[in-house]
Amino acid sequence: MIAGYVVAGLLLFRAVWAFFGAPYSRVASFAFPPRQVIAHFASLLRRRPAHYTGHNPSGAAMILAVFAVLCLLVLTGFLVQGGVEKQGPLAAFTTYAFGMTVRGIHKLVALLLLGMIAGHLAGVAAGSLLFKERLVGAMIDGRKPGAHPASSAAPGRPLAGFGLFALLGVILATALLLLSRLPPLGMPAIPADRAMLTECGSCHRPFHPSLLPRAAWARLMADLGDHFGEDASLAPAVRDEIARYLELYAAESWDSKAAHRFSVLAAGDPTRITATPAWQRIHRGVDPALFRSHAVGSRSNCAACHADADGGRFDPQAIALPEGTQP
Amino acid sequence: MTPARFCLALLATTLLFAQPSFAEPARDAILGQLAAEAKQANPAFAGFSAERGQQFWQAVHTGGRAETPSCTSCHTKDPTAEGRSRAGKAIAPMAVSRTPERFTDAAKVAKWFERNCNTVLGRACSAVEKGDIITYLSAQ
Repeated sequence: MIAGYVVAGLLLFRAVWAFFGAPYSRVASFAFPPRQVIAHFASLLRRRPAHYTGHNPSGAAMILAVFAVLCLLVLTGFLVQGGVEKQGPLAAFTTYAFGMTVRGIHKLVALLLLGMIAGHLAGVAAGSLLFKERLVGAMIDGRKPGAHPASSAAPGRPLAGFGLFALLGVILATALLLLSRLPPLGMPAIPADRAMLTECGSCHRPFHPSLLPRAAWARLMADLGDHFGEDASLAPAVRDEIARYLELYAAESWDSKAAHRFSVLAAGDPTRITATPAWQRIHRGVDPALFRSHAVGSRSNCAACHADADGGRFDPQAIALPEGTQP
Repeated sequence: MTPARFCLALLATTLLFAQPSFAEPARDAILGQLAAEAKQANPAFAGFSAERGQQFWQAVHTGGRAETPSCTSCHTKDPTAEGRSRAGKAIAPMAVSRTPERFTDAAKVAKWFERNCNTVLGRACSAVEKGDIITYLSAQ
């Protein structure tokens, strides 16, 4: 995710540089008329490509393609982050379902980028070995044999470029930050219920109401006499108050990752969050001994590792194994 | 009033109000209620016993849940130590010396005896059993 923000910064810089950079960095040097592109590929087939001091048309096409794919990668990344994790600038606008759809595209685009990197390296290798172009050296020192000062092209304006980049960067970063501060979609602020916190909390860390669907809470609260093997009976008035609260703010009222994933219940154990297929899949790699350790004690102690469990968020960044349990 | 009688009255008053520091009216009331129930169930009832309470506390019972055959399953053998619920939550020590507010809230006492006797023994506890346990843990 941090990589995504770095890429966004680099893309912004490259976009600015396409207008303020040195002649061969500018957009004019790699926007070729179609006739020239056809001529270039024909000459490649004849294995006698014409020499270009800047990028040749295949190199230019790669630049544009990589730029477009990276833009798409950043955009889909923001959508996944916003919809699924309810984080980042698009969290206030993206549903979980849309984020999950886009996640597939995000993965495909990443694979496409890997393929293009391979193609790019192959192109450089072909240009260097087959056609004896000095490509790698030129990337480092900027010199290419046969290069002649492009007299017609104006020199780059690096100061103006850096200035505009800094200005746009500050504006964009501020906009992203402000957008990230908006309340996420489907993550309402809910009041705390004292009876729920006291009664549920006397045996276990109270679970966030979003972690089970309404029907599951109703079922669970109707059988407190056998509450996962314990008698957890409550006075009817207290039980009813807690049940009302849990059902009012049950999974159906949320668009969070946890609410959606744990709504698919385990067929044989439909009130146990830790038995849901999603919980099992997510914790597959966790050592069972960790759950038995003194610091955790049980699978139901979410907050032992998830610092934000009480709010039902379960951000990946909020996971920390308790001290002394790390392998 | 002669000086001797005055001294006697003073002594009587002092004895009346000077209770041991660990005594707690709310807990005494709970024990008194349990004693009355025990007397009603068995007229020969002759008071609660910390020793019986300790035996009951440490005994391995049948009839309840296999995971929790004893009070000590969660509260540990040492009443002055912190216990642990099956869900992993710490339970403050049951010994009154460590947790002074133990057995001072009648509703809470009733709730937890009802739940835990059912979980550990599969039945309700008698007034004698409850009184014995409170007497035992009050002395710890």
